[in-house]
Amino acid sequence: MTPAVIAQIEPIATPEIEWFAVSPLLVLVGGALVLLTAAALARSRPPRGFYALFTVVTAALAVACSALLWQRVTDPGRGPFTAIGGAITIDGFSVFFAVTITAAIALGALLADDYLRREGLDGPELYVLMLLSGTGGVVMAMANDLIVVFLGLETLSIALYVMAGLHLRRLESQESAIKYFVLGSFSSAFLLYGIALVYGATGSTNFGAIAGFLSGNVLASNGLLLAGFALLLVGLGFKVAAVPFHVWTPDVYQGAPTPVTAFMASASKAAGFAALLRVFVSTFDVYRLDWRPLMWGLAVLSLLVGSFLAVVQSDVKRMLAYSSISHAGFILVGAEAASDRGIAGALFYLLAYTFMVVGSFGVATLVGGRGDADHGLSAYRGLSRRRPLLALAFTVLLLAQAGVPLTSGFLAKFYVIGAAVEADSYALALIAMLSAVVAAFVYLRITVAMYMGDETEGAEAVTRPAVRVPPGAALALGVAVAFTIVVGILPSPVVDFARDAVPVLLSAP
Amino acid sequence: MSEFLRAYLTVAVFAGAAGLLVALMLGAGWLIRPSRPTAQKSIAYESGVDPVGPGFGQSQVRYYIFALLFVLFDVEAVFIFPWALRLESYGLFGLVEMGIFIVILALGLVYAWRKGVLRWV
Amino acid sequence: MAAQNLVFAVLAVVAVLAALRVVTTRNVVHAALYLVAVLGSVGALYVLLAAEFLAAVQVLIYIGAIVVLFLFGIMLTRPTLGRESGLDNDQRWLAGITGLFLFGVLSYVLVEAFGDERLPRLEGLDREALTAERGTGAVGDAIFSTYLVPFEVVSVLLLAALVGAIVLARRE
Repeated sequence: MTPAVIAQIEPIATPEIEWFAVSPLLVLVGGALVLLTAAALARSRPPRGFYALFTVVTAALAVACSALLWQRVTDPGRGPFTAIGGAITIDGFSVFFAVTITAAIALGALLADDYLRREGLDGPELYVLMLLSGTGGVVMAMANDLIVVFLGLETLSIALYVMAGLHLRRLESQESAIKYFVLGSFSSAFLLYGIALVYGATGSTNFGAIAGFLSGNVLASNGLLLAGFALLLVGLGFKVAAVPFHVWTPDVYQGAPTPVTAFMASASKAAGFAALLRVFVSTFDVYRLDWRPLMWGLAVLSLLVGSFLAVVQSDVKRMLAYSSISHAGFILVGAEAASDRGIAGALFYLLAYTFMVVGSFGVATLVGGRGDADHGLSAYRGLSRRRPLLALAFTVLLLAQAGVPLTSGFLAKFYVIGAAVEADSYALALIAMLSAVVAAFVYLRITVAMYMGDETEGAEAVTRPAVRVPPGAALALGVAVAFTIVVGILPSPVVDFARDAVPVLLSAP
Repeated sequence: MSEFLRAYLTVAVFAGAAGLLVALMLGAGWLIRPSRPTAQKSIAYESGVDPVGPGFGQSQVRYYIFALLFVLFDVEAVFIFPWALRLESYGLFGLVEMGIFIVILALGLVYAWRKGVLRWV
Repeated sequence: MAAQNLVFAVLAVVAVLAALRVVTTRNVVHAALYLVAVLGSVGALYVLLAAEFLAAVQVLIYIGAIVVLFLFGIMLTRPTLGRESGLDNDQRWLAGITGLFLFGVLSYVLVEAFGDERLPRLEGLDREALTAERGTGAVGDAIFSTYLVPFEVVSVLLLAALVGAIVLARRE
């Protein structure tokens, strides 16, 4: 090489990589890679439950890294910061979602362990996909750039599409995978177009830069920006299963392998709301008058459609699917308030909901039995006699979802409705309370079925295969129930956690 | 027309020439050749062997996985070109980042290999 | 400038007509081939914007890989090729109306926002300046500075797709 050529080479200003800032992500990806490679290269099958244990340990490590990050961002001397060229933000919000999503991974893995062996699907793939999917979710929560949000969402979704179709011999599983994939890709396209329009209107995809532009400039014509808002809301509304973008939810939740449904309902919803809250409530704060009515409509529709349609279902997984839609409505009530209190309420709700929904689908995993098909309400008749503890656990989780006091679900509903009242959204608060009453009917219906009505069909109860409760699933259920009750009685640590996790807007350095 | 687009005029001219050439050859053949169709002539030509079954056969799922792997590594390649173009500017930093990128996908390839999907049976 | 606009018009017409044929043709193989025409025209539009790298990627990924994947999928799932019925369903009019509505709204906001802008004038710029600004090297600089996180996340995304593809296509 001649000196003249060397002289032309100018090193570019490369961003500094704060490895510590992305440590939860590194742990999750690293865990997935190690598991994938080790399982592929191993000559013999590992001991029973090794994959699930490995996944839980990885998740625990990620939580530990998140705890260290939490210390740093809550330290008044240091505080939140952006990392790696301003593409990601590390604030309480990202750490909160890293913990929530990682908890969903750990609980989902515990549920999947026995399920996979029962269905003859044992292998590392589900766990690898779960870790990769969770990574995508955490990326969405940490994102400080619309492109990072999009890629995180795609990573989350692609792994989930495959997980939904993992039970290759069940036709419903394949159907749910293809439905989720087709509709999910469609909604991703909307999201991408929305990103393009917002970029066109503001000249940036970086949240700090967008917010700076919006507060510093008065747009002569903001049609482009508003269309961008609408398309972003379609894409993210699909991910969180808000009405009218919910049509996939019952079919996919019903058809997917039940532990996958548990993970999907918790992690995917959390990640979707992470992006929704950071993009709309935090970044587009200046335009709240424009997006709040949209969010209001989504919240009302989700609350009403979710709770009323849950009542008329006969399949427990579909009931839980519709109830998860109405939960999305409640979280949107918190988002609609567009205040720090609203966000904190939504975050509290999401964490409480994660444990409730994983636990509920965990019970469905066990009751569903071999073949993962026994999800009718009749399968739950007389469960209190056959499995009293399991019935009790499900009762607690269902009452929490209904919002009965002394459970985390009550406080969650209380906080989001309180935030709505504070933001003068009285009508919305009223509709939320009304729909909580309607939804309570669904949860009571399942509970009643568990505790009554097996005398008349004693013959059927005898022929029913016994419900097995393997240790992994028992642990997951125990954790979910304990969290639900303890937080219901002693909420202050989680309330403080959610309050300190309100997103912070930071521009690239 | 700008200097930049004028360079692409060459592409357009070549494309036009290619299209014209094909049209000329086929057109000339169509004009010159005699046309006496028989049933024998219209069966599919399989290098002189009598064809078995219809001209279309459903392909196997195995080919699909190769096509999918091709898409994935094609996308990977797209990211390597800009890096290769300005390799020196990115230096060690670029090497490490590209290394991470490639290793993650290479581990996926190891998995594919051990699962036997790369074997051509 | 006139030549640039003329080429744009031709490419736009080809792209739109081919796109219409993709959804109206009764033969799925033809649909995939019309898609090649759509994607190729769009790739040529990128050249008009002096985004050469993007144009190359368009050909390499979309035409070279994704349409090939489509064709494989068609050959995998169809017992015979040819005209097919049942490609449309009863909701096509509703879908058409929704699509037209969306098209109208998006066209309106795009015209409102960018109606006064014109294709970039490339005359004044020489090739070196253009390449420095929009060439492959500029893309690389962006990847290795601002968009480093997206770049690495892409590899995780591709890994998830790779594992997923193998899981779904494996033999029992």
